[in-house]
Amino acid sequence: MHALFIRGLKFWCYSRGMLLKCVLLLCAAAVVFAADVPQKTFPFAYTQEDLANGLRLITIPTDSPNLVSVYIVVQTGSRNEVEPGKTGFAHLFEHMMFRGTDAYPPEKYEEVLRRAGAASNASTSNDFTVFHTTFSKEDLAAILTMEADRFEHLKYSLEAFKTETGAVLGEYNKNSANPGEKMEEVLDDTAFDRHTYKHTTMGFLEDVKNMPNQYDYSLTFFDRYYRPEYVTIIVAGDVNQKQVRALVDKSFGGWQRGSYHPDIPAEPKQQGPREAHVDWPSPTLPLLTIAYKSPAYTDTQKDSAALDAFATLVFGSNSEVYQKLVVKERKLDSLGAFAPSSVDPDLFTIRARLKHAEDIPAMRRELLDTVARFREELIVADKLDAVKKRERYGFTIRLDNSDSVANTVAQFVALRRTPDSIDKYYAEYRALTPEDLREMARKYLIDSGRTIVTLTGAAK
Amino acid sequence: MKWGPLLVAVSTFGLCGWAQMRTVALPGNSPVVTLRLVFTTGAAQDPPDKPGLARLTAEMLAGGGTKHLTHDQIVNALFPMAASIGSQVDQEMTTFSGATHIDNLDAYYKLFRAMLLEPGWRDDDFKRLKDNAINSLRVGLRGNNDEELGKEVLLSELYAGTPYGHYSAGAVSSLETLTIDDLKQFYKQHYTQSHLIVGIAGGYLPEFLDRVKQDFAALPEKDAAPAVAIHAKSIQHTRALIVEKNTRSVAYSLGFPIDVKRGDPDYPALLVVQSYFGQHRESGGRLFQRIRGIRGINYGDYAYIEYFPRGEQLMEPPPNVARSSQAFQIWIRPAEPPQAAFTLRLAVYELNKLVKDGIPQEDFERTREFLSKYVNVLTKTKRAELAYAIDSLYYGIPNYNTYVKNALARLTREQVNTAIRKHLRADRLEIVAVSANAQDLKRQITGAGPSTIEYNSPKPADILAEDKIVGSYDVGLRPEDVEIVPVDKIFE
Repeated sequence: MHALFIRGLKFWCYSRGMLLKCVLLLCAAAVVFAADVPQKTFPFAYTQEDLANGLRLITIPTDSPNLVSVYIVVQTGSRNEVEPGKTGFAHLFEHMMFRGTDAYPPEKYEEVLRRAGAASNASTSNDFTVFHTTFSKEDLAAILTMEADRFEHLKYSLEAFKTETGAVLGEYNKNSANPGEKMEEVLDDTAFDRHTYKHTTMGFLEDVKNMPNQYDYSLTFFDRYYRPEYVTIIVAGDVNQKQVRALVDKSFGGWQRGSYHPDIPAEPKQQGPREAHVDWPSPTLPLLTIAYKSPAYTDTQKDSAALDAFATLVFGSNSEVYQKLVVKERKLDSLGAFAPSSVDPDLFTIRARLKHAEDIPAMRRELLDTVARFREELIVADKLDAVKKRERYGFTIRLDNSDSVANTVAQFVALRRTPDSIDKYYAEYRALTPEDLREMARKYLIDSGRTIVTLTGAAK
Repeated sequence: MKWGPLLVAVSTFGLCGWAQMRTVALPGNSPVVTLRLVFTTGAAQDPPDKPGLARLTAEMLAGGGTKHLTHDQIVNALFPMAASIGSQVDQEMTTFSGATHIDNLDAYYKLFRAMLLEPGWRDDDFKRLKDNAINSLRVGLRGNNDEELGKEVLLSELYAGTPYGHYSAGAVSSLETLTIDDLKQFYKQHYTQSHLIVGIAGGYLPEFLDRVKQDFAALPEKDAAPAVAIHAKSIQHTRALIVEKNTRSVAYSLGFPIDVKRGDPDYPALLVVQSYFGQHRESGGRLFQRIRGIRGINYGDYAYIEYFPRGEQLMEPPPNVARSSQAFQIWIRPAEPPQAAFTLRLAVYELNKLVKDGIPQEDFERTREFLSKYVNVLTKTKRAELAYAIDSLYYGIPNYNTYVKNALARLTREQVNTAIRKHLRADRLEIVAVSANAQDLKRQITGAGPSTIEYNSPKPADILAEDKIVGSYDVGLRPEDVEIVPVDKIFE
């Protein structure tokens, strides 16, 4: 057990703020600040350490008086659900983890959280599951002890398991009122053939309904993935690194490493455009989604950053096509594009909501023409610079509390298991040129990798 | 009563001595500056035939152009700053807010100021925003969000005949007839210095705040309209409204107005009750434990003593929706239709138990400890701290955290149970359900039952015994107390 990597970057946010006051008084803000902008994007000093059992700990002191946020990232999501008929289990485990242990049955777990004044929750995505709690710093030892206990010793009865599957079906039900959820299901199912991104994190409805019969499989799932080598603990806030390390050593040090490596099927190259349509049973506005197979997240090449910038520049709220179709012609009710940061190749998606179903063919043509146009034309360099500025400022504005810092780091930990990926990714971002964006559009936003899904509602 | 130290600078400002523009300032070293301008006016000031006017007016300011800049010029100017200017309209508060890096404060503020003080009132902006408002009601709420729909219908029913008697987003037929002149008139009348609270936090300089105050002194000084007074009609008998739509499951909201708001003597006691009975999106509440935890019926079950919109998205209550009248509400997340009637009986049964038995001593202590610390989580960002301080000014209380902690420290279980008996009840409820097959549901929830529930696994004997009692628990609904309304008639 030793510290593998210690970063000593100074606390940039606050040192910048104080400097700024002086600079403003001297009326020379812009010049001094241009020179003062550091090349590091993540402004906090942090410590990253690996325990002998493979567990990773990242401690980030921030200026959050009395508050601490603990994010426990398990690098297991619906991507890890490799067996047919077993979709939705990563998400089910997000629920099961609240079902207690011998030492902390659910009532006692709740009591510790309540006494800590904690805001606590969890979420699951394609690639990871995260359990997060924000609370007063004096309760850090109690919370870490309890968290370690449930990650190592989770124990639930068949009855408790079946009861919780009811809550999961309840979650499916509350989501099912939204046609956007159905759209995602059909898009993933149509675009992917073999990879587990074929199903959403909620899972297929038939699998969710069958969950009560899968108690034994649930034990297998826990045994495979709730192991220290899959887990990173992020502690951000009013904390001291040595104290956190000692607490984590004590509470998580005895947890045994596992040995399971999932065989996640690679998605074969898509050979031609695909389409699907959803008839929604009640009246709703039509939806149009155009998706392209896109690369896995990278922080060493420009692909991920370039597609993210492309999404913002070409389909964002100040793009030409947005201004034309949403603001001026008002054919679209909303429009946006999204380049995911995923462990494996995923889908770059353009999502539009229309006012009238009869406009679907024309809007589809407009959006496809826009993609085609930027496979040929270069984006204006000034606009790309504006996106880079936006990313930098947006990042600073977002990191205004321990919860948000830990949450942001968790997204990168899910991909590369280190906040270091933040600086690498944004270094790629800063280096982007208009030619890079065009090159990535030519490489990824191509007809043979395209899937289009439309949804229309019932007549009123 | 002794309050803790006031950490927030609160002051009034007026060029003529009596115009009460107020400020809440939280200076600091952060490179992020948050601006939050709150007008103490809102949907309650909508003329009776123009619901949605206050909201569309604010959306026109925040989402339209200015005298000198078009909407897309504003979007382009804000884009590299990663900044935005958002609006929020509730019954008695209209909020414009945003944050910027201090590098961009001057440029950002110029836009913010122009949008609020020099609106462009362009016809194309108006048409776009009106369209969006109508679609948001028809599709965003009625089509896609059964739970929020149920909550807003409940409040509209509870406050029928009062200025709160319509949803702040209005109704489709009203929105369709609104004109730019209506908006201009609302703006001129209600966007006044006397309604304005200027909130600011972060690393700004004092001169900057002076500049903001000078600029906004250009607004008219006072609103001639009378202040809003809310007197909700009392409910004589438990009644239900079933919103009928094609949907998979059944979502409920139920409640009644209460005569307690922040700052009132019984507020801390009811805050404990809310948390014990149904702390929002936490698994420790009694309702959550009995309905989801033990029985696995749905995704969650919560209770409220203050308005809490967008609860399915937000983990913490949104500030600056302060109201002079509040309602006690229970939110039951969607249940499968075969369990829907039982679920409603269970929720009302638990409410009755709360009213009858009060809060156990151990739970009282635990909840009090929770809330004393949890208030820090509520104000974990400068943005939230600022917004809470503005609400505190509205309610006439000091710093919210200090107020809650001090009050909780003195609170006793007896006071909580007295407050329960005084303000809560399990009869004379307003119930709203969003459901398919409304007639079936009506039949199942009226009369004395029995409603049954089947589980996918064995349950302990005490739960099965309780289920028998719950299944026959009479929520007090007679067939004539249930109204069925098709979803396309709601907020139409």
